[in-house]
This record gives sequence, structure tokens and C-alpha cells, in this order.
Amino acid sequence: MRITPFCLLLSALSVLLAPVASAKNVDLSTVPDRDSVQLTIYNSEDLTLVRETRKISFKPGVNPLQFSWANTLIDPTSVELRFLTSADQLDVLDTTFPHDKPQMLYWNVQSEMNGEALVEITYFTSGISWAADYLGICNAEESSMHLESFVRVTNNSGEDYDEAQVRLVVGTINLTEKIAQLAQIPVAQVEELSKEQRRELRFKAVRSLALPAGAMGGGADESADFAAPKEIIKEGLSEYFLYTVAGTESIPSGWSKRMRSFEKAAVPMKTRYRFRPAEYGDQLVRLYLMTNDEESTLGETPLPDGTVRLFRDNGRDGLSFVAAQNIRYIPIGDKIELNLGPDPEVICEWVKLKSWRSQVWMQINGADVFRRVDDNRVEIDVNSTVAGWDDHTLFTQRIRNYSSRPIEVEFRRPLPGHIVFRSPFAATTYDYQTVEYQAQVPAGEKADLRCEVIQHQGRNAKQNNVTLEPVEQL
Amino acid sequence: MRGPRAAMYLVLVAFSASVTPPAEARIKLITLPVRQRVEIQLDHPDVTLVEEERVVPLIKGLNQVDFSWANTSIDPNTLVFRVVVQGRDDATSSDEPDAAKSPEVQVLSVSYPPGESALVWQVSASESGSALVRISYLLGNLTKSFNYRAVVSRDEQILVLRQYMRLQNQANEEFDTTSVWAGFGPQFLKPIGLNETKEMLMHKYEGVPVQKAYTCDPTEFGYLDQAQNKLRVPMHYVLQNDKRHQLGLAPLQFGKVRIFQEDRQGSTAFLGEDWGKFTPLDDEMRLYVGTAQDIVVQRTIEKNEQHRVAGNLYNVDVVVKYEIENFKDQAVTLDLVESIQQIRAEVYRDTGRDVEWQLGGETTFAGGPDAEKSTYDRQVFHAELPARGADSKAQKIVHKLHLILKNEW
Repeated sequence: MRITPFCLLLSALSVLLAPVASAKNVDLSTVPDRDSVQLTIYNSEDLTLVRETRKISFKPGVNPLQFSWANTLIDPTSVELRFLTSADQLDVLDTTFPHDKPQMLYWNVQSEMNGEALVEITYFTSGISWAADYLGICNAEESSMHLESFVRVTNNSGEDYDEAQVRLVVGTINLTEKIAQLAQIPVAQVEELSKEQRRELRFKAVRSLALPAGAMGGGADESADFAAPKEIIKEGLSEYFLYTVAGTESIPSGWSKRMRSFEKAAVPMKTRYRFRPAEYGDQLVRLYLMTNDEESTLGETPLPDGTVRLFRDNGRDGLSFVAAQNIRYIPIGDKIELNLGPDPEVICEWVKLKSWRSQVWMQINGADVFRRVDDNRVEIDVNSTVAGWDDHTLFTQRIRNYSSRPIEVEFRRPLPGHIVFRSPFAATTYDYQTVEYQAQVPAGEKADLRCEVIQHQGRNAKQNNVTLEPVEQL
Repeated sequence: MRGPRAAMYLVLVAFSASVTPPAEARIKLITLPVRQRVEIQLDHPDVTLVEEERVVPLIKGLNQVDFSWANTSIDPNTLVFRVVVQGRDDATSSDEPDAAKSPEVQVLSVSYPPGESALVWQVSASESGSALVRISYLLGNLTKSFNYRAVVSRDEQILVLRQYMRLQNQANEEFDTTSVWAGFGPQFLKPIGLNETKEMLMHKYEGVPVQKAYTCDPTEFGYLDQAQNKLRVPMHYVLQNDKRHQLGLAPLQFGKVRIFQEDRQGSTAFLGEDWGKFTPLDDEMRLYVGTAQDIVVQRTIEKNEQHRVAGNLYNVDVVVKYEIENFKDQAVTLDLVESIQQIRAEVYRDTGRDVEWQLGGETTFAGGPDAEKSTYDRQVFHAELPARGADSKAQKIVHKLHLILKNEW
């Protein structure tokens, strides 16, 4: 069994309260055990708030308490002592951080009582993290998904936490200093370090972390009864969400533990194909779309950042691996988009069919005079230069669907410059220089969407935007 | 010499109540459930999914199922542990647990020990008994590739195309009789040994019509003799991946195609090989066989005139002339491919702008460009070439491509 590096020593000192530095030759110490411990773990930062309670006997007068945390990653500036019982009879007189023992502090507690009190010690530590991940198995028809969400807690803090209540914070908090940096240096020296030094300290701290083979306690109800997976209770907390794992968990240092956050048997989903170069690169990709709402049997909690691993029932009593994708925090009610990449059964081509020019304007050299080339009434001056013109290009957006299902395809095509987009099909603008249009392609068929792009060039270009111009035919 | 063998274990550990067991206690061996069934899914282009089924005896209450591996590239993050739905119709193995007697099983959590290739599932069972579980994971170094063997008939009208899948097992893990599936085609049931490569016939396509395509394209294939303006004329076999052409079951995967031709002795002669690109349904696979030296094409720019439109704005009149001789015994169709941008760069300069062009009246190709195969810049024309005459002399066929490049500056 590992010896915990934490020590809380109640020192029986001489009546005269000697300076702390000379109090190291104590005759007697007691080491009160933890009664309970609670971990509140933040996933946006390397930060965990530890809240532990211990019972300590006090005698009237001044009671020195020594708290040390060798080989752990506790931020010394964050350690606090609070009295949960007999608070009106107990007071912390002072807190001392000895110069020669960086991972230690002393409290001098003034007691008006003779007896036991419950104290709470809180501190920030680094090295404990949690992350969400998801397992999705969609049915063979790709119409619904069996979705499981997990949280995985990893303890590299150097300290074993037995029977701890675990709370996980979803959201992004603000920290001015990294806890791992603060953990490595005496409290007085924090401000003196350069950024580089702090980074180096943090690096060393992580590297030097031993990963002793610890025990992985069940934490669950360890009776011989049939047990269901633990519930993870979700609640809103200001800008964050708090997940509380029911019961307690034991997470030895070096171990990680993955627990199910929720499981939904049949989340309705749709398949869409999208061409959006800014989001998915210059390719047509297939997506699974769901919504994090009640209608989709979800919506109880935001979905924290994490990796989604997608499988599909291959219809042959087995699974096919589809994709692994990181998702960002998805609020309640928001869309869930899972990008599966290109589909070899759907071919998308943007084919240039023809190109020509019109509205060619010449500028008479040395003069601010312009003449249009195709205007037969004007005399063409040999001593002139092309100053403006319109490029016309006829394209076809060709989609070939060789899959066994009809597909819906969405395009978001950026067209920079001063553009007129002429099309016989419905199109809208997504922004000032991006055109959006859709197509439905039945199984085994192809679609050709013809459009003409007119780009005003040279002096003809007056704007930098797209104008839509519906036409009957191209 | 064989590398270190992979060790993959599924160990069921009795969970001692009330005491949190130390790490060493995980090694307490109760039973070592063997694999009942293994499937290797190769349908993803980049990764290999292995699914295995094992019968796990469980005791009522909490159980720890320890899964560990060594010297294999299992991605632990992809491990999925599922209790197979009981009472499967196809459950034929007598080793499989009786559905009616199987306990209800719940996976409570997964723990990952430090510094080990292992994980521990904490599983709760409603009763003591056996459960059939399926464990899925992505396994590295178990890869697939495709290759083809094409045997062309004597008259080069049809061919027999065999598609093979080659499975290379460098995963340091051997599999007894294992189901292997590529995402299409048949499902194979084969043992796959350590460091073994296994090649399996995916499909044999018979009577596939093959088209011999002779193509000259100065941009793509260049010149055979540039000083004499003689173009290179490669010959390709063209296969259409659709059902009308006896293919079209699935996209043809990228792979090497070895081409043979039946000979008079009832055997085959090796004609050459080429990489077949990934060919979706309805697309064509072109296999380069060699350069056709019996077809001589001389390409010259016959006319290059610039006509001022205004100021620095010009139209360019271009005629490209092709003098073609076919020294073969058979008549053939030659595809002449031209990049209009490339012609402009030859006769004028590359302005970086799209070319505005139209065909001129001196063009001789009947019917103009092939509308289906041509694009805006790449124009495809066909020239019918008669076989050489009885006196072994080839008839010289002359074709002209007349282009007017408009509004250039």
C-alpha cells in the first residue's frame, strides 16, 4: 500500500510557542485521517479543487498544525483551513510557509475548547484531469444512433484519492497562473519567476511524476448485488455545468477511470453531404447530423469537448468503423455535426464548360477617355489599353450518386470579387461573397446544376460581392 | 525470424468485496476465456477493426474483466465491450451460453492502469453464469491492398479480370479461423498466421469488354521525337466500371494490374502492368499498356496570326495540323487531345486568364469535339485511321484544328 505523501500533523509543542523554525524537533505528532474528500475537476485547465475533512482534537491555547504535501502538485497559495464544528471557539492565528521546506505550512490555531472539531482543508492541485468521449453506433439504415457519453478521470497528481466524491466542471474558467507552476515553488517566489522558468518547472513536474502501480478501487457498491452503472448528476452552475458522480470513487495516482455519463438507445439522425471549403476543406463530405435537444432524446446537458468514435452496424451482425472526430462543446439545443469525410460512392465535380468575355473597355493611353470595344459606333484608337472587362464562365456542378440511397447535398461556394451568379436553380447568399444552393440526387443517378459566373474585372469591378440573378435556362 | 509474439489476454478476476485490491491483485487468474469468433473488418480505407467474441463466466455481483495486450498496436481508446444480445438465431456454437440462462450484465466503468497495455472493465452480473461478449478494437499493422490480374483474349476484345485482396499481418497476433470482410464482395473464413500475407480472390469478372484506346496528348504524354514534331501515342486498355460492361459491382480499388494476353499455345504472355486508380462506379479505368509505334502522328502549328481588335487587344488565329499514318493491319480510332491553354502558351503567351475561344471553319474533325469527354480546356477529337494498304503503305491522314483565341492581351 502506498504511503500518502500528505501529512497533517498536530504537534504537541512546548507551552511557549517557539518560532516555527525551531519547532521541527517535536516530541509527539498525531496524523488524523481524512474523513471525506471531494474532487472538483476542471477540464479546461489543469486544475482540481480538493476539499477534505478531518477530525482534530484541540486543547485550549495555541495548537500548531503542520500540513505538508511532498511530491504532489498542490498550489501552496490555495491551501485553506476552515472549521466546520466549534467554529466560534477556534481561530487560525497565522499561517507560516517555512523557507527550507517548500511543500509544507504551519497553522497556529487558537482554541477556546478542549475536544474534537471537524476541519475542512481545501486546496488546488494539478495533475488530475477529466475528459469526455463518446461512442456512437448508428443503425444499418443510418437513421438513428445508439449514443453513449463517457467521462474519463486521470489522476497523475502524485496522490491517491480513496473513496472520493468526484465532481466535474464543464466550461472554461480563467486562471492567472498555472497550478502546476505554483506547486513547484515556495509561495514567496512565485512572482519572481520568468515565463520560461515557469514553463520549465511545469515540464519537470510532469516528467518527474512517478506513476506507481496503485490500486483501482471499485468505488461502486461492492456488495454482491447486481449493480447498475452509476448515475452522473448534471446541474447548471453559472456559466458552467457540474457533473457529480454518484457515490465515491477511488482513483490511485497514475490510473484513469472511465465512467458512463449517459446512454441513449436511438438518437434520430440525418445524413447530409456538404461542400463548404472553409469548414471541411475543398471536398464534398458526408455528415451525420443530430440535435442536442429533448426531441432527439438528448438535451439534458451540454456535450463537453471530446472525441466521438463512430461505428455503424454493418448489417452482418458486426460493426464497421466509420470515423473518429473531436467535437467542441455543444450547448443544449445546438446541432451536433459529425464529419465522416468523403464518400467514395458520391462523386462531386465542378466542371468548367465555357469561358468568354464581354464589356471590354479600352483606355486611350495618356488620357482619361474610355471606349467600349463592341460598340460599333465608336472609333477604336490603336493607342489604347484594355482597362476593364467581364469574364463569363459556364460551370456545371455535377453530382453522381452511386450509393443505394437518395442524398441531399448542400453547397456553400465562395466566389471572391465582383460577381454575378446566374442560375436556373434556387440559390441564396450565405455572406457577401458566398453562394449557397442545394440538390437532391436519387440513388444511382446524377445531377448537373449549370450556372454562369460573371466576374467584373479591371475598371468594371466596382464592388467585392456577389449578386444573384435567376435565369430560366443556361 | 519471428518477432515477439503478441500476448492478448482476457482475464476474469474475482472481485473481493469490501477491499480495494492493489494493482498486483489484478493478476489473480480465475479463467482465461478463449475467442469464440473473430471478425476482421477491412471496410474502412485506413484502419482495421477487429471484433472478437468470448464467453465470459461471471459471478453474481461485481466482476473485473481484465483485457491486456503486448507487442500489438491496439488503440485502447477504440475498445468497445458489448454484451451480445442473447438468443441469437445464428448462435450455433455449443460453447455459447444459453440465452435463457445468461445473466443480465452491465458495464459499470473502465479503468486504465498506469504504464500498461491493459484495461479493466468493471462488470456487474445479475446472476452467476456465462455471458457472450464482443470486444471490438482498431488494430494497427494488419493492412490490406488490392491487385488485379487481367487476361486479354487473342483479339483484344474482352478480358477476364481477377481482383485479389492481399492481407498483410504484421500485427504480431495470429488468428485462427477468422472472418475477413473488405466492405464488399465475399466474406472469407481463413486462419491468418503470424507475419503471414494472404491473398484472396475477391471476384472474377469474365467477358469484360475492353477498348483499346490510342491517344496523343502533347500536354500529358509529350513527344516521341520533338525535333520531328512526332507525338507519343500510348495505348491503353479502357475498362468501364458498370454492369453493362460486366463490372460495376463496387468501385474498383487502387491497385496494381498485371496484364496478360492469351497466346496461340493456349498459354498467356505478359503484356505489362500498370497502377489501376480508384475507379468509382460508372467511371473508366485506363491501363497503360505501352507506346504504339505503328501509329505516327506529326503535329505542327500551320497558322498563327494575330489580329488587333483595339489597342493592345488581339484575336489569335491558330491552325494545328496533324499528319497521321497508321502502319497497323487494322483500322483504329485515334484520340487527339489538346489543351487550349497550352496552345495559347505556344502561339501567344500564358496570360493567366481563361481562354476565350471558338472553333474555326478550317477544323476537319467530323462532328467536332467529343462532347462527353471534353471539358472547357481539354478538347478530345477522334480520327478514324484505315489499316495500311496491301502494299504495306499507310495512307496519310491530315486533320486540322482551327482555333480563334479571342480578346487576348
